[in-house]
Amino acid sequence: MKIKIKAFAAVKEACGFEDKELTVSEGISVEKILLELKKCHPGLKEFDGTLLFAINEEYCDQDSVLSDEDTLAILPPVSGG
Amino acid sequence: MIGSGMKKIILQNEPIDMAQMLHEVESDSDGAVVSFVGKVRKNSRGKNVLHLEYEAYREMARKELAKAADEAEEKWGISNCLVAHRFGRIEVGEASIIIAVSSPHRHEAFLAAQYLIDTVKKKVPIWKKEYYSDGSSWINDKE
Repeated sequence: MKIKIKAFAAVKEACGFEDKELTVSEGISVEKILLELKKCHPGLKEFDGTLLFAINEEYCDQDSVLSDEDTLAILPPVSGG
Repeated sequence: MIGSGMKKIILQNEPIDMAQMLHEVESDSDGAVVSFVGKVRKNSRGKNVLHLEYEAYREMARKELAKAADEAEEKWGISNCLVAHRFGRIEVGEASIIIAVSSPHRHEAFLAAQYLIDTVKKKVPIWKKEYYSDGSSWINDKE
């Protein structure tokens, strides 16, 4: 299945992409996708333990599972206001 | 959004018109309008700040702010509320955010405004980057 990944702010700069499409196996978790991403984007490792995730614009956990056509956003800790 | 009050979420690049924002939440049945304005400081963590840049996950930020506004209405029965946040480059002294809340009495409006800004700081996907004379950095620690 195909999913979209979005990266923001410091994560976007560390990874060097803003939007990305990935082909992944059915039922893959956020955590597994992150492990895969770290192989090509080692810059992600510096955010270990601080990242937030959202599937289709709703916060989710590392063990949340993605479906076909989902968008996973990888978010550094927020600092708005 | 739920409830009967007006709730407005604005994400914009342009400077915020404060008077207009306050006017938006007013009504003849409300005796209180409480506002919070967040501004760009010229110093941060011992460095001179030249300007800031804000980035937002706009679709999601809108949803999270709408949820927070619904929660504020549910918890405190406020009448109207508005949150306007800027993105892009913002200069020292300019406002990055304004929150305005109206309700019949002041107590609920104060609590709701505090709740909304606290939620922005904790949950809404917006990030700031500080620019100094010798570089820049994304701010991602808790104040």
